[in-house]
Amino acid sequence: MKPEEAARLLHAYVDRELDAAKSLELEAQLAADPALRERFERLRELSAGIREKADYHAAPSSLVARLNAVLPGAGSDAAPRRASRWILPVAAAALVAALALGIALVRPGDEETLAREMVASHVRSTLGDRLIDVASSDQHTVKPWLSARLPFSPPVADFSPEGFELAGARLDYVGGRPVAVLVYKRRQHLIDVFIWPGSGPSDGAYSRDGFNVERSSAEGMRISLVSDLNRNELSDLARLLTARR
Amino acid sequence: MTDRRRFEQQVLPHIDAAFNLARWLTRNDHDAEDVVQDAMLRAYRHFESLRGEARPWLLAIVRNACFSWIQRNRPAEVAAGLDGDAAEAATPPADGPEALLARELDRRMLNKAIAALPLQFREVLILRELEDLSYREIARIADVPIGTVMSRLARARRLLTESVRVITLASRLQTEK
Repeated sequence: MKPEEAARLLHAYVDRELDAAKSLELEAQLAADPALRERFERLRELSAGIREKADYHAAPSSLVARLNAVLPGAGSDAAPRRASRWILPVAAAALVAALALGIALVRPGDEETLAREMVASHVRSTLGDRLIDVASSDQHTVKPWLSARLPFSPPVADFSPEGFELAGARLDYVGGRPVAVLVYKRRQHLIDVFIWPGSGPSDGAYSRDGFNVERSSAEGMRISLVSDLNRNELSDLARLLTARR
Repeated sequence: MTDRRRFEQQVLPHIDAAFNLARWLTRNDHDAEDVVQDAMLRAYRHFESLRGEARPWLLAIVRNACFSWIQRNRPAEVAAGLDGDAAEAATPPADGPEALLARELDRRMLNKAIAALPLQFREVLILRELEDLSYREIARIADVPIGTVMSRLARARRLLTESVRVITLASRLQTEK
């Protein structure tokens, strides 16, 4: 092991992040090199010093009280159940209407399958080079291209000012139907946005195999986002996509 | 069990970790309280996305809430530390002493020195030393590669050592006057 590498790995060693083989190698080096040994000792002391002496700010009781009051669904009278007051009657009415009309309700299993198909599509496209059929950040190029090839016209917008650059689009086949996939970039992350006509009861966010999936709908379109981007930023894009119409 | 009940059992116990991170990042009790409250509500809304351990999951939400807050209120701070990464990658770690003897560390000076670190370095240091999270967990929370976590941590420790030394010298001069 070269001295520079040993110096670099010292932090990982102090943090117990080095694998067994490298640890053994470094320990041999430490035994042979007093200067390195000295650095290691000081580094360990600094780490211990911070843990022992730096302030740990515990949450003040006023914050806990505030949270108890504002979190929805409390058993106490302090927090009214804003949502549940109307959700139940609405859901019941929707159920009755659906049954009366003979509409098949979407089963959770279908949602699960859809999510899996979309993640698989996202992974395939990032592995191979078929990520984008039409590469353009211009919505006036992308939208007509998609409309010409699909039985519907998906909404297309670039959100570069908000940090989500439109990179292009592709066609895919998900849930037994052709769908539009808009591809956005944020830093090194790629975001696939699956769009098809329809509405559903299944808005929400979840994770599959390390990817975040966020589902929403707007103006008669189902809009589903898949990415390894963190959930908060993915939600930001979802909001942009559903608001802009 | 209701969502609220499960949230109270799985997530709320980590409120101290949430507040500690927010307090170190915003450097202010009042702002930290506001940010944590927002982050907790957000966590509650996205509760179904929780897989595995609740603490790193919650800290990622708190971290993002802090950064958005700082971006809005003190944008210069977010930008300030970023070129440090490039410098770190370009120059191999100098062979300087990482630490003066920790037993000499004065508690007040240490806290002052940590608070003075640029945001990106303060963040990894707090997550590592005060929350005892792994490099992998920190990478997920800070949304950077593990290599960046390592270089930022090394840099944080070096900066900390330097500023503790400066602060100690300055206070010694003052008492000698």
